[in-house]
Amino acid sequence: MTTLLQNLVDGFGRGSTYALLALGISLIFGVMHLVNFAHAELITVGAYVAYGLSTRDVNWWVLIVAIVVSSVVASIAIERVAFRWVRNASPFTMLLTSFAIERLSHALWQVLVSPKKKSFPGPGWAFDTWKLGSVRFEIMDLLTIAITIGVLTLTALVFRRTLFGIAVRGAAEDFDAARLMGVRANRVISGAFAYAGFLAGVAAVLILMRSPTAEPTLGADWLLKAVVAAIIGGLGSFSGAVVGGLALGLAEVFLRSYLPDGTPQRLTDAFVFGLIALLFIARPSGLFKVATAERV
Amino acid sequence: MTDPWWLRVARSAAATAILSIALFVAAVVYTSTGGSARELLVKELLVNLMLVLGLQVFMGNTGILSFGHLAFAQVAAYAVAICAIPVATKAQQLPDLPFGLGDVHFGPLAATLIGVLVALALGAVVGIAVARTGGLAAAMITLAVLFVVDQVVKNWQELTKGAGGLSGVPILRGTVWLWLAAALAMFVANWFGETRAGRFAVATREDEIAAPSLGIGMFGARLTAWTVSIVVIGLAGSLRVQTIGSTNPRQYTLDAAVLVLAMLVVGGMRTVTGAVVGTAIITVGNETFRQLGDPQRLDIERFPDLFLGGALLLVMLVRPGGLLGDVDLAGWLRRATRRPRPAAERAAPARSAALVAEDVEVRFGGFTALDGAGLRVQPGEVIGLIGPNGAGKTTLFNVVTGLVESQSGVVRLGEHDLSRSRPHEVARAGLARTFQNLRLFANLSVRENVTIAALAAGRYRRDEPPVDVDGLIAAAGLTEWADRQARTLDYGNQRRLELARAAALSPEFLLLDEPTSGMSDDESAAMVAQVRTTAASVGAGVLVIDHDLAFITRISDHVVVLSEGVVIAEGTPDEVRRSPAVAAAYLGTHA
Repeated sequence: MTTLLQNLVDGFGRGSTYALLALGISLIFGVMHLVNFAHAELITVGAYVAYGLSTRDVNWWVLIVAIVVSSVVASIAIERVAFRWVRNASPFTMLLTSFAIERLSHALWQVLVSPKKKSFPGPGWAFDTWKLGSVRFEIMDLLTIAITIGVLTLTALVFRRTLFGIAVRGAAEDFDAARLMGVRANRVISGAFAYAGFLAGVAAVLILMRSPTAEPTLGADWLLKAVVAAIIGGLGSFSGAVVGGLALGLAEVFLRSYLPDGTPQRLTDAFVFGLIALLFIARPSGLFKVATAERV
Repeated sequence: MTDPWWLRVARSAAATAILSIALFVAAVVYTSTGGSARELLVKELLVNLMLVLGLQVFMGNTGILSFGHLAFAQVAAYAVAICAIPVATKAQQLPDLPFGLGDVHFGPLAATLIGVLVALALGAVVGIAVARTGGLAAAMITLAVLFVVDQVVKNWQELTKGAGGLSGVPILRGTVWLWLAAALAMFVANWFGETRAGRFAVATREDEIAAPSLGIGMFGARLTAWTVSIVVIGLAGSLRVQTIGSTNPRQYTLDAAVLVLAMLVVGGMRTVTGAVVGTAIITVGNETFRQLGDPQRLDIERFPDLFLGGALLLVMLVRPGGLLGDVDLAGWLRRATRRPRPAAERAAPARSAALVAEDVEVRFGGFTALDGAGLRVQPGEVIGLIGPNGAGKTTLFNVVTGLVESQSGVVRLGEHDLSRSRPHEVARAGLARTFQNLRLFANLSVRENVTIAALAAGRYRRDEPPVDVDGLIAAAGLTEWADRQARTLDYGNQRRLELARAAALSPEFLLLDEPTSGMSDDESAAMVAQVRTTAASVGAGVLVIDHDLAFITRISDHVVVLSEGVVIAEGTPDEVRRSPAVAAAYLGTHA
């Protein structure tokens, strides 16, 4: 029972980070059919900004704001300098463009800062523990859950209630129709990138509070899982991305704890990916299929 | 492509020879001015080329992104290593080798063959999944396979010695074998482009709905391309390990996969020439930038990444189809050496089967699109299907051709029940269609568009006399533009080309969805004659939807009027025009 609860908390912690990233990827796919392999580079941006500021003894609360803001700014900037130019190209071209940006980002951080890991002090209080019955929580666990729920609620409100959110959802369903209704393409796409940047920024905060280090390939570890989560959920489906992210996080933690003891740690990943392959064979369009009736 | 087989082999060989000689000359010039480091680079280039060609055969022809091809190169490399490392060395390196592999030893040729076969065995299983799904899901399956193979290799200590890899594989002397293998890979890739299977794969890449409508099964076309590509990539892995003398998982990571992918797309993934050019550019560029880095520091990897990212980004922004796009040596040879066949006098085949649809019912959610509609087309007859917007005309077409499933109703072609058939089965049975919003193979030439349909006819409609491709192109008035890419044609010509392509399937019936939409009055008047001659030349009956009543009146023997999912009138054009029910449906008056 205790292990079960502990696993649930751990799985949710991992899964919610995946979910925040997957949601951003799904959002961008919705408005422009780009599978953004550069999305997790926003975490790296946040990490280096936090590292830069922390060498000047800046308070962690300021760091949190700085991480989120830098992620939003970087997201908008990448759209302006790169993705805007391939907006009408095939999804394949856009995907490779994002790959190119991912490579460039890795290389640039190595050139500009250093290829080595740069650690900085994390918030000490985050790892204070808190006991409920026999289950031990870290403050960080609770914070992760609280922040994720908060952000997801906010996201739901934004996309249900605000004009921007409705425009984005409209664009996700049928961009051309949305344009004819007066939705401005540039504004909606910039907005979607800004919001995806915000979500990635929040994910970066959660990641950096746990392990405050900046390194050039920081994003790469998270990227694949986030992309996979978004595709499991069904690209373009917002609730799908959240479910996909949580499912992936829980699957990882539970597999790790229930596979026989002799199983090497790293082999869990093989199982996770094996399951993912099976899932795509069974349901090629993911769990939540987004209706795209192609006219013939 | 309808050329004789020896000409196609000769062309593939010629294209391979030209590319190989160009590479060889460049390599000789390059190595003559430098030391052994340069020879190493040439070897690396040849290995990369084989890897890229393996990927090209699948990705270039089917358009499906694969991250996982390197996994099969890795499997082949390990199979070769385990077969080729001398028994004594193996006993030291891998004392617990399972399945009695410890005593196995083969020469380079046998080991290579085994490597390819092992890759193929594993690849076939994955290929079935990939071919079934297609699209992004297929890309994700390949990604998953890359990781699973990576993890298994790293963890199966007894067999692979884990992350450290295996060494002591006998190294092939000289570069002759490598050159031969690279030339073989190039030949296979060129030859695949000349085969019917290759053309079918390209058709599935160009349009996932149009290809089945010509009888091309997506699964088979993709699986064939996949299988051939796994053979090539298995060969690449086998030679890589025998060139370096060792293998380890670091050679086959996702980063390596992205590198190979970049080589393919920078040059242009749709062609072999593009693959060769891209491989050369990225391999040489990477090496140049590596030398720029300071070897004293840890960060020597940063410069190649900078180059790779920059080159890929630039190409995607400026020339998304790759530097060469569709420029291809093999394609050029194909056009230059094509042997026009004298148009065979062909009697239009006698047909006896009628196309019948009865009581078709289709609901989309709460909306009833077809409510018991039906029609009958006799062999050789031209039937016009008209009705207001939303009457269900296209839906009826889609039911007949298997794109939409009906809730109830029957579709028959002669004795053949097509009610539950899939689109490619319907096409093979003898129904060819065009599409309201045009589904040409946009990157292929006019001639290739028609030829693919003719190839499908040769494969799936064998009882039919061979189709006269040039004749059909001439009848569409497109002879002048036969070598132009379909997407560069104007709208009217695209419509005429789509008709010619459908007719090249040599169908029993042609189903034309708004063939004159977007045409001027003159053009649509000319279309009457083209539809009639084209249909007559292949002996097909016609079922045609159109809004242009003048066109329908002139072309149809018989008109069926559909409104709100039911047939409200039918008869000769004159009878229908006088029908009060038709006037009511079109004008909304209650007669």
